[in-house]
Order: sequence, then structure tokens, then C-alpha cells
Amino acid sequence: MTEHIDADDLALMAASFEAVMAEAPGPGEADQALYDLGWGELLAAAPGPAAAMAFSALGTTGSAATLLEDVVAHALGLPFSPDVCVLIPDTFHAIPAAPQPGEPRIFNQEEPLEVDGLVSSRIDRAATVVTVMDGKYGPELTSFEAGFLRGRGATGVDPAHAYRHLSVRVAAHFLTPLETEATWESAVAAARVALAHQLIGGARWMLAEARQHALDRVQFGHPVASFQSIRHKLAESLVQIEGAASVAEACLHDPDPLLAGLAKSLAGQAALTTATHAQQVLAGMGFTAEHRFHLWLKRTLVVDTLFGSANSLPAEIGRDLLTRGTAPRLIQL
Amino acid sequence: MDLETFRRDLTDWLDANADDLTPPYEGFGSMDEQMAHYAHVKRALFDAGFGRYGWPESVGGLGGSPLLRAIVGEEANLRGLTDPNPWTMIEVLAPTVIEFAQPEISARFVPPFMRGDEMWCQGFSEPDAGSDLASLSCRATKTDGGWLVSGQKIWTSFIQYSSRCVLLTRTGEPGSAHRGITALLVDVDSPGVSYSPIETMHGRLDFAEVHYDEVFVPEDRLIGEENGGWQMAMDILPYERSTTFWQRGALLHRRLSDLVAQVSASGNHSDTAAKTLGQAYQSLMAFRSRSRDTQHRLDSGQQLGVETSIDKILITTAEQQLFEAVRNLLPGVIEFHEGLTAARWRTDYLYSKAASIYGGTSEVQRNIVARRLLDLGPES
Repeated sequence: MTEHIDADDLALMAASFEAVMAEAPGPGEADQALYDLGWGELLAAAPGPAAAMAFSALGTTGSAATLLEDVVAHALGLPFSPDVCVLIPDTFHAIPAAPQPGEPRIFNQEEPLEVDGLVSSRIDRAATVVTVMDGKYGPELTSFEAGFLRGRGATGVDPAHAYRHLSVRVAAHFLTPLETEATWESAVAAARVALAHQLIGGARWMLAEARQHALDRVQFGHPVASFQSIRHKLAESLVQIEGAASVAEACLHDPDPLLAGLAKSLAGQAALTTATHAQQVLAGMGFTAEHRFHLWLKRTLVVDTLFGSANSLPAEIGRDLLTRGTAPRLIQL
Repeated sequence: MDLETFRRDLTDWLDANADDLTPPYEGFGSMDEQMAHYAHVKRALFDAGFGRYGWPESVGGLGGSPLLRAIVGEEANLRGLTDPNPWTMIEVLAPTVIEFAQPEISARFVPPFMRGDEMWCQGFSEPDAGSDLASLSCRATKTDGGWLVSGQKIWTSFIQYSSRCVLLTRTGEPGSAHRGITALLVDVDSPGVSYSPIETMHGRLDFAEVHYDEVFVPEDRLIGEENGGWQMAMDILPYERSTTFWQRGALLHRRLSDLVAQVSASGNHSDTAAKTLGQAYQSLMAFRSRSRDTQHRLDSGQQLGVETSIDKILITTAEQQLFEAVRNLLPGVIEFHEGLTAARWRTDYLYSKAASIYGGTSEVQRNIVARRLLDLGPES
């Protein structure tokens, strides 16, 4: 794989990725085939475009391939490995057990640490878990052996088990600090941009389903697509999707963390709005298990919660603005 | 020219000339003060050369990408040197006139417009032709050496300051809709043109109702083809939604920064304040990113079209959300407070209510998105 990857190559890869994902949408099912297609090399050569392409495909196909670990690991400067699983803190950091009020949180303590977060299905075959914890001087990257977490965790609303929630205690002596120059902040930014593309891909799928249904479904002697209230719901969905997609695409290379947060927040909002409007347009059919819409609705809920949601990110972004005392332009002509 | 070098040269020059370019009046200024200062800034930019980039040499420009024009408008409006509204007129009208009018007409009339020496206005809407623009009825009939125009226009912004008006007239049969419309460049001081300003709810005389009573327009003032005015009007809209929106976006960015600074200084770092600001900022950034893409498409020679309706909806959403955030985070300022800062917030707040109306209502934009971009077929 060369350093330079042009748009045509990427489009070809996208078609192959989508085909593989659509063939095997279950948790981790497509992973090996994606490695065989060169996912690891692509990510190393062009991390931004690779993640944008692969996560758009995750969104449009509804696949539960476990690629987020690789994006995070790459941003952390770790070698590509299917044996690494990332534990995504449920809140921004996992909080060590029982810190004393007013005391700095200390990572290397004797008591077991409470680890609360989200993992993908990769936890069942990974050797190592990577995560972040509150350390004495800020977030500290750490790793521990994955074995005891196999098969554990609550899968919740998403029937395809894309992510699970874990709450475990790990004895401090099991933890190994990660040796890396990279920051957790840069990993968060990379993950947010990737997930923004997944949300947008999913939103485009939901909008396409709703659009086709509106054209096919006849009531009162007309396709329901001819009624203005339905047209405006679908139009509003497209407007939000395009606004979010533009910001996500502006994050292609080494994005400012603030811009990455905006991309994730806007994508979450666009996907949630589209899910609501699409469900209303699909009406009864969208409420059945028979129509596949519900899979995308549920995946949207889960992906929106990872690394900050459309509900939580605006306050985080606003606090950043208040600290700066101004609203940076970030994007220039 | 490299955009970043151009921006740096421009901002250096703006900094060096800040005393001369900063409005001499406090706060918003009167219409007369605002228009006079706009003309002054345009002239200074022209004389320094910055105001000539991005315009073709045939009209006195120095050539180069239209992105250069957008940068000039962005930096000037971001610094509050002018209000973006008068600036809108040249960005909307001049590119289309250059494209559609006879070269001699453009070469004669566009340069003074570009220098700020004269202002133009846009005569499209009529009392019975708003969202349904193609039903307009202001009539132009052929006469010796030109046309005679009779009829009524409304919402014509800045006519009291204007020398020229880009006018849409009915030249086909009544009911010929978009097929029978002709565009003319009319001198506002022609005999038979009369107008009465309409006061807006934010206390300005932005626009007027205009009567045309047998107004003679020479035949060389035709813009485009006879009965081809609809195409010109449709060509205008994407310009309206690229460079001019970018400039309005710069003003909104400045006002959001003002709000952030005011809230930050007040010590209100509550979750509600942070979330309100974050939401306003993300809406504005969605617009900014989209608008940037649009201008790069324009710059690469692509024809802009109905997809710019998305830009219009995004900036409308951002503007109204921003000024609602002002009302929520600075309680009582819009309703009661005295002083220039409050007066400015009040004016901007009230003006934001027009954003979902002018330039095609938000409903018309959503109709366009549904029909043309989502291909949902006809409405019932």
C-alpha cells in the first residue's frame, strides 16, 4: 500500500468493504475479511480517509464489524492488532474506586479500580484491553489482560450486539501503563470523526428507506410522498445530514479536537432527527421487527452514546468556548 | 494567488488602516451613516487593490478566484467594518449582470458599483408575486429604441440609495409564467420611477414599495435574452447563496463571539449556558462548512443550483438559533435594557426573524429540497 491513496482507489475499496459487511453484518463477523482486504494497511497509510470510508460503510450496511478499536489504537500510536480491544469510558474517564474528597485521584493505588465502560464484541477474542483512567496528572493510558472479560457485559437495546456495557473491578497490579507519545485527546478526536461517518451513513440509509416507502405507499389516492408534511420531514433530515457530513469531511486530516466534537455532535443530531422522521414516515411498518429500520434506529442510539452524544457534546463544546472567550472559525476557505 | 497569503496581506492592511475603516458612528448607526461608511470602505478596498480581486478585468477587476472576494467580505464583516446587507447587493447582482448583459453595459456600470461609488437594487418581488415569483406582472412593452415599463414592485432594498435596479418584467402574455419574463437594468432616476420606503419592525427603512409608470428603458439595457429573464433570475440565486451567505455567516460568527465573551465575562459557566452556546456554535459551523464547500464548487467552475437551498436552510437555522440564545443567556437585554450594546442585540434579534422569509422562505426551500434533491415527485 502506497502513502498516496486517491479517490478512485478509495471508492473501489468502499464498494469491497460494503459488500463484505453486507454479507456478514453480525458482531465481528466481517473482521477477518476486512483485514484481508487491507484495512490495516489502509489505516496506516491514510488514517482519516480510511476511517471515513470504512465507517460510512458500517453506517450504510448496519454491520457490527469491530473497527473502532483499530482507529483508537492507531491514534494512540499502537501497532495494528486484532488482539487489542478498547474499553471506552462511559463517562469521559473511568473513575478510580472511592477517591477521597479533595484528594487528587491516584492511578497507582492498592485498591482495585472500578472500570465502567463500553466494549465491542472483540472482547471475546482479544488478548489485551486498552483504556484510560484518571491519573495524578490527567488521563493515563493503561492496559490489562482481556481474558477474564470474555462473554461478559450487558448488550442492551442493540440486538446485533455491537457494543456491551461492562462494570468490573481490576486489581491495580494487573494494570500496565501504555508507553506512547500520543494523547487520549487525539484518540477521542479520531474516534469521534469515525463515528460521525457511521452515524451519517446510517442516517442516509434510513432516509433512503423512508423516501422509497413514501413513494410506494398510496393513501387517499396519492403516494404519501406527495403530502407536504412528509416532504418537509424528509427535507429537514437531508439538510441536517448534509450539514453534519460537511463538518465530518472537514475532519479528514488531523482534525482540531473541537471540530471533531462538532462533527460527532452534529452527526448524532442528524441521525436522531432522521430516525424520528423516517420512523414516522414508515409508520406501522417501521415499528415492526419485520422491517429492518429498527436495527438502524437501535444502532443509532448506541453509536450516539459512544465518545459523547448529541445531548452531552454541546455542553462540552460550549465550555470550551467559554474558556476561550471566543468562537474560533476553525474552517477556512 | 494563494488564499492564505492573500488573507494575511488583507488583514495586515485592515489592521494598519483600522482607524480609517472603523465606523465613525457608535453602535448600529443610522441608515444614512451606515450606507455612507459602506461606500467609504468599498472605495478604500478598491483603491488598495483588495476590492478588485475576484472580479474580471473587463469590469476593472484584477481577476483571480471568486474566493478572494469572499475572503475580503468575510474579514470586513467579521471586524464589523460594514453591515453585510449593502455588501450583499454587489455579490448578488454584479456576477449575473457581467454574465448576461452586453459587455459594454457591464464595463460601463459595474466599475462604479464595485468602487462603492454607486449602489444597485433588485426589483423582483411584487405584491402578488412573493414565493410564487413566476406570476409577476410588472409589464414591459416594446417601444422605439427600448421598453416602457409599468407596474409595481415591493421589498426593493436600498432603492433610496441606488442608481441602478435589476428589474424583472413581464414581456410575454399574462399567464406565460417563467417563459415570458425579461430582465432589464433600469436607471432609478428615470422619469416615472417613484417609491415609498416601508418601515421594518426593527425600525429601519431597509426596503420600499416601488411604482413604475411608463418608465423608458433603452434597448441595450436588456440583461440576457428577451423572455429569458427567468434563467437570469435562477442564475442569481446560487450567487446569493454562496458569497453573500459566507459574509453574513462572518457577521454571525462575530456576534456569537460577542455573546461568548459577554457570557464568559459574566461568570455564567452553567451547563445550560454551555449547552446553549454549544448548540448555537454547532449550527453555525454546519453552515460554515457547507458554505465553504459550496464556494469551492463555484471556484472550480461547477454550476451551482438547487442544492444551495440546503445552505439557505442551514444559515437561517443558525441565525435564528444564535439570537434566541442571546435572548436566553442575556435575560432582559432584548426586552428592556438601554445602551448601544443592548440596542444592537435587539436590532439583530428582530432582524433574524426575517431570515426564514427573505430570499425564498424556509418552506419554499424545503419544497425544493423535497422535489429536486430527494426526487419525491409532485405535491398533491
